[in-house]
Amino acid sequence: MNNQNKDQNAEIISNNKSSDKKTSKNIVEIKNLKKSFDHGKITALNGLNLEIKEGEFVSIIGPSGSGKSTLLNMIGALDKADVGDITVSGIDLIRKKDLSDFRSQEIGFIFQLHNLIPNLSVLENVEVPMFESKISGKEMRKRALELLDYVELSDKIKRKPTELSGGERQRVAIARALANKPSIILADEPTGSLDSKTGQVILQRLKELHEKENVTLIMVTHDMNVASLADRTIEVLDGQVQN
Amino acid sequence: MSFFSLILKNPFRNKTRSALAIVGIAIGIATIVALGIITDGLKTSTEETLKAGGSDFSVVESNVSDMFLSKIDESYINKIKSVNGVEDAVGVLTAIQPIGGNPYFVLIGIDPNKLDISNIKITKGKSFSNGSAKEVIIGKVASEKLNKTIGDTLTLSQKKYKITGIFETGDLQQDGGAFLSLENLQDIEDKPDKVTMIYVKIKKDANVDEVTKAIEDKYGNDVTTIASLEDLQSVDQGLNTIDTASWAISILAIVIGGIGVINTMIMSVFERTREIGVLKAVGWKNRRILGMILGESIVLTLVAGIVGSIMGVLAIQILLPLGMEGFIKPVYSSDVFIRGFLVALIVGLIGGFYPAYRASKLPPTEALRYE
Ligand SMILES: Nc1ncnc2c1ncn2[C@@H]1O[C@H](COP(=O)(O)OP(=O)(O)OP(=O)(O)O)[C@@H](O)[C@H]1O
Ligand SMILES: [Mg+2]
Repeated sequence: MNNQNKDQNAEIISNNKSSDKKTSKNIVEIKNLKKSFDHGKITALNGLNLEIKEGEFVSIIGPSGSGKSTLLNMIGALDKADVGDITVSGIDLIRKKDLSDFRSQEIGFIFQLHNLIPNLSVLENVEVPMFESKISGKEMRKRALELLDYVELSDKIKRKPTELSGGERQRVAIARALANKPSIILADEPTGSLDSKTGQVILQRLKELHEKENVTLIMVTHDMNVASLADRTIEVLDGQVQN
Repeated sequence: MSFFSLILKNPFRNKTRSALAIVGIAIGIATIVALGIITDGLKTSTEETLKAGGSDFSVVESNVSDMFLSKIDESYINKIKSVNGVEDAVGVLTAIQPIGGNPYFVLIGIDPNKLDISNIKITKGKSFSNGSAKEVIIGKVASEKLNKTIGDTLTLSQKKYKITGIFETGDLQQDGGAFLSLENLQDIEDKPDKVTMIYVKIKKDANVDEVTKAIEDKYGNDVTTIASLEDLQSVDQGLNTIDTASWAISILAIVIGGIGVINTMIMSVFERTREIGVLKAVGWKNRRILGMILGESIVLTLVAGIVGSIMGVLAIQILLPLGMEGFIKPVYSSDVFIRGFLVALIVGLIGGFYPAYRASKLPPTEALRYE
């Protein structure tokens, strides 16, 4: 991907949340986190401890069923832990009741499957997260167009997700994740359903985003080559981080 | 994209299912609208009959279930005339007979000298004579329908009546019927010395409330005064029954339509489980998800309200000529359509609430795992 739109990139995500270069501040702090399913029969997280610094790019690896997605869902406040402490962007996710604001303002999710809304156009899909921010419809559109320009899909904004290739859909998903200028991007196997060449393009874009915009990037992957792009790789085994 | 346009897009994703739901609710709304139009028409024409032309109120038999069944002794005409404040009292006998393809041909027996109390305008020929001469005047509509005019004869109870004039009143029931002398109609109906009601005209300086009270006080055991449609409804069971029936049908429509909407919206939420998980993941509040699903439900039912109103009006225009024409003139008041849309809105709110609540409470991870 060449970069003809450098000027715009600067505005893609930069905000007062994470403007400074890497600090020693922890953006994620997890202590002794436990989560089980099926009334305790399945233990997904078993006293997990983890600290992630602001602006860090961390990849998470580990065998299937080890608890990677569960961990990511905890950080993104999509699910509540049973026991332990988890603080993200200074917010205590165990004690805070309504976490929709946190999700809207701090987190951008990218899933393995793009999870775009099929009856909405590419442009509208990118606008969807912005309903919860206080901006006008006009600003929403402007921002979505900027983001789609950033992922180089300006010529396909009117298309429906089904009319795009897998890589293009995932680029739309990246644009959607950036909509509300999150401090953390959580990507659960973002290249898992793409061929390696297309996957490379997506990864390049994410890495660039991390480097230029200083966004904290946490990515789950099965691929060691992919994991090695990160500043740090952590391995999850049986619901715990391996040292 | 506005939130509103997002709500407008969703109900039509599964076109067949939405169309079926809309038709289901629309049938209910159409029934409500059609019934309303007929009820209003019935009320209006009854009111016109009650407050014929120059009269201020009418007197009917008390404790009678339907106005048409009212029977008062003719002697009351003079009794009422002598009540303080009464200017004139005119006895009228009404009857309905099947004549020339109209099952509800209205016959009105009245003293021809008192015809002016009926708002009647003789457009051709002259009035019938009083007494037993076999003469009749027919309405403009009846003249067209029967293809008869002055000089022709009309057979009533095997006796030939000469048509002496054509009249117009503006009331559909009367214009489709005929006027003749009270004596003749009493004879035809075998109701000697009886009238259906007495039209009362009061003196200029008299007060309707006082005069009606005086009559009720004196003759209240046998007769009742009716000065308005509300008065009539407390006497006439027929109108009350129609009102009750349209309420019952409205409630039925709400229940059936509501179940249809719940079903449609539950299916829609179920299919979009994963999508709802995504909306939560991008930070949508439960409230917004609730509002979206509820909004979609209301969009469905309001579309059904439009379709149903059109269906109701069409039904009236197709069905009325098939048998009720000349008896009921449809009245298209805005009230009827407002009621139809209110029912649609209520159905949308009630039917949409549970599915919307369920969607808003879906745990995001469960929703995202949904295949
Ligand atoms: N909602 C749930 N209900 C029941 N069990 C669950 C649920 N979510 C996760 N689990 C279980 O918790 C464990 C951890 O699951 P998780 O999805 O975190 O694994 P993972 O490391 O992401 O695996 P994969 O690499 O296959 O995606 C697994 O045993 C899984 O079956
Ligand atoms: Mg996983």
